[in-house]
Amino acid sequence: MKLICLVKFVPDVGSAKYDFERHTLIRDSAHLQLNPDDVCAVAFALRIKARHPETIVEAVTMASAKVTPNMEDLLRVGVDRGVILSDPAFAGSDTFATTRVLGRYLSRQDFSVLLTGTHSIDGDTSHIPAQLGASLHLLQMSGIQKIDETLFEQNIARFDVESEQEITTYQTQLPCILSLTRESGYKLPYASRTNLEKDFSAQIQVVTNQELGFLPEEVGLTGSKTRVIETYVKRLEQREQRTVRADEAGVDYVFRFLADKGFI
Amino acid sequence: MIRCLIYIDPSETESSLDLIEAARQLHGDAFEVTGVLCSALDQTLPNVFDRLMLVAYPANGCIDPAQVADTMQALHWKDKFQSILIPATPFGRMLAPRLAMLLGTGLVADITKIRRTDEGVVVIRPAYSGSLMACIRFIGDGPMMMSVRPNVFRDMVKEERTMRIETLQPRTNGVGIEQIEVRPKQSSYDIRESEVLVSGGGGIAKSFAKIERLAELLGGKAAASRKLVDAGVAPRSIQVGQSGKTVNPELYIALGINGAIQHIEGIKGAKHIISVNINKDAPLTSLSDIVVEGDADRFLDQLIRRIQQHKSE
Ligand SMILES: Cc1cc2nc3c(=O)[nH]c(=O)nc-3n(C[C@H](O)[C@H](O)[C@H](O)COP(=O)(O)OP(=O)(O)OC[C@H]3O[C@@H](n4cnc5c(N)ncnc54)[C@H](O)[C@@H]3O)c2cc1C
Ligand SMILES: Nc1ncnc2c1ncn2[C@@H]1O[C@H](COP(=O)(O)O)[C@@H](O)[C@H]1O
Repeated sequence: MKLICLVKFVPDVGSAKYDFERHTLIRDSAHLQLNPDDVCAVAFALRIKARHPETIVEAVTMASAKVTPNMEDLLRVGVDRGVILSDPAFAGSDTFATTRVLGRYLSRQDFSVLLTGTHSIDGDTSHIPAQLGASLHLLQMSGIQKIDETLFEQNIARFDVESEQEITTYQTQLPCILSLTRESGYKLPYASRTNLEKDFSAQIQVVTNQELGFLPEEVGLTGSKTRVIETYVKRLEQREQRTVRADEAGVDYVFRFLADKGFI
Repeated sequence: MIRCLIYIDPSETESSLDLIEAARQLHGDAFEVTGVLCSALDQTLPNVFDRLMLVAYPANGCIDPAQVADTMQALHWKDKFQSILIPATPFGRMLAPRLAMLLGTGLVADITKIRRTDEGVVVIRPAYSGSLMACIRFIGDGPMMMSVRPNVFRDMVKEERTMRIETLQPRTNGVGIEQIEVRPKQSSYDIRESEVLVSGGGGIAKSFAKIERLAELLGGKAAASRKLVDAGVAPRSIQVGQSGKTVNPELYIALGINGAIQHIEGIKGAKHIISVNINKDAPLTSLSDIVVEGDADRFLDQLIRRIQQHKSE
């Protein structure tokens, strides 16, 4: 069985710096981490591998080759192969163009399932998995909290999706695209001591546009169907306000405010 | 005539109808609007569409976004819409990207604002977990597609239209997904429906029960910031903010909430805000009608006692 995990390395949103002139994130300024939902996707794949050691787990990302060390960290915890789709031609892709690139690579692979996150914490569109579903003609479901591991081995995906009011169990056949959420709580194992020191560079493959063969206008900024033209940090509108202290007088003020407005 | 297509999510009918207001902001007053419905509703829809397409799915509705995407694609081929609007519900978020890919068009996620400029439409959406707003333009021949955050384009009075109802055969049988079981979750409520919300953040993690008590006394519901949800103190369903819900209550009492922009994004529509914080300059306080400077736990005790006293008088 081959499981492919789609992963994105994202800035730690809290500490990232943003280039307002060029509308891009200054990635070097931010510490990159594996997107939280994707952590769960990889962790689930490794659980299957733990049950069936012959399973091959491949992690695929479209990103700058700078993410190589992050990819190596995934190999250290048990992923067999890392693939980085990387080419200057891909830079500036919106989700449509990103899906084109990922889709062409994936259409040439043999896999039993695609495991992804539901959404990333930076772009946060949730588009990529569903768009890949359309381009690869596969069923795709988001918001997955739990996958039945025993049925999985029989090529059956039975999984739980939790919504506002209910938990729904679905069942379908592999191959399909299963997108997990961080609420699933699947956790990555720790790297063994030997893996911490090992060199994994041989198991990482960088795939460029030479192999994928897109025309320049099909991908990247020029192949995109949406464009970020401006970004701004939100400013708050000031309200007429009153500051009181959390003492008897303050509580009384709040109480009278609530009573005046009809809340009590 | 400008044509707009709107997907009606049976689990969020109201928010789906609000997309007509989004369409108005997108196209001006003259446009024709078609709604697509793939499931039986337990209420009748008001006459707010020019045309309502009922897709003939089995009675319990459709669970495979691929089926709906295929059907809407066929509809678009026939009618050539200028815009396709889909509510950003869990189903809508799976449907919209699929359909955009089939149509080879751009999709903007989770929009909160629409601006018409001389050079065309600009839509605005939060990114980086809501810390940044992005203005986005569509490139290419369209249709313009967007998923729209529920509860953002509220429209109280909707224009009455002569609604034609047509039925539509689903275009594919999908790839075969079965619903095995649906289990209700215990004690859930929708914070968006409450006029009064008492909400807690990192400064009050230990006193969440008191928040519920105050909410009850004010006839409202408890809510929480992301901090408390991530800490496991409150369920995700009551999270307010960019990654949670957008709420528009009459009264929002924020206890020990710093007010990251992500949180503020979700409460801008609140009529009155009272915030309690040991730091009177926390970001949320600038939005508040009343800022109570001090310990939130103590404040809760005092206010609860004061209201109880009043009720027993
Ligand atoms: C401010 C801003 C706003 C944007 N808004 C839009 C918009 O509205 N519409 C639009 O089309 N584009 C938009 N983009 C571009 C979009 O963010 C990028 O194309 C992005 O790299 C992919 O989408 P995402 O981060 O939203 O991923 P999501 O679709 O949210 O990610 C879901 C999952 O897909 C997988 N995945 C995502 N990206 C990759 C990858 N590169 N490699 C491998 N797997 C991946 C992961 O498993 C991930 O968990 C925006 C960009 C910026 C900077
Ligand atoms: N005991 C307390 N009472 C009221 N506010 C508090 C208390 N302790 C911390 N805070 C505030 O709670 C907020 C916690 O913010 P956050 O970490 O964003 O959840 C900060 O704004 C603190 O100033």
